[in-house]
Amino acid sequence: MAAVTYPDAKVIRFINERMIPLQVKFDAKPIATDFNVKWTPAIITLDSNGKEHHRTVGFLATEELIPSLLLGIAKVYFDADQFDNALANLNKLLSEYPESDSTSEAIYLMGVCLYKSTHNAKHLKEAYEKLNARDPQGEWTKRAYPYRLL
Amino acid sequence: MGDTIKWESSMDVALERAKSENKPVLLDFFNPG
Repeated sequence: MAAVTYPDAKVIRFINERMIPLQVKFDAKPIATDFNVKWTPAIITLDSNGKEHHRTVGFLATEELIPSLLLGIAKVYFDADQFDNALANLNKLLSEYPESDSTSEAIYLMGVCLYKSTHNAKHLKEAYEKLNARDPQGEWTKRAYPYRLL
Repeated sequence: MGDTIKWESSMDVALERAKSENKPVLLDFFNPG
């Protein structure tokens, strides 16, 4: 990450503008123990109280890191019931990184956000249909499978 | 925004900034090798 992804100008701009970056060694105590870190790179999105909302382990190139961070930011807002802010970040992910490894989870979470903010189950079914069209055997398509019946 | 990521090294400082700037924290555990 330090040699390839973090020096990328797009990554630098995104992180400095959208997040508070905190970097610690894998064996720093007590934080590594507190977060149960066993392998690096481990990248965790926290809210301003220090609560974890999203985690990835392993190398991510620029075109995967930024959508992963957008998903993490969306989860921070989702977990705080701030669905409009969550949706704004999910929309950015889907429009700018439609083929990323985070995209399917973002489609799923968008369906849930829309359902929770409108109480209209059609959004869950639409999420399943989008996922099924994109990747019928995908992990998030399977998780959304019950919504096909709504 | 500068040509490097402006990493914090203290959780307390990062959380204080997160509150004042209304941003989430990116916590990166790294192995310097």
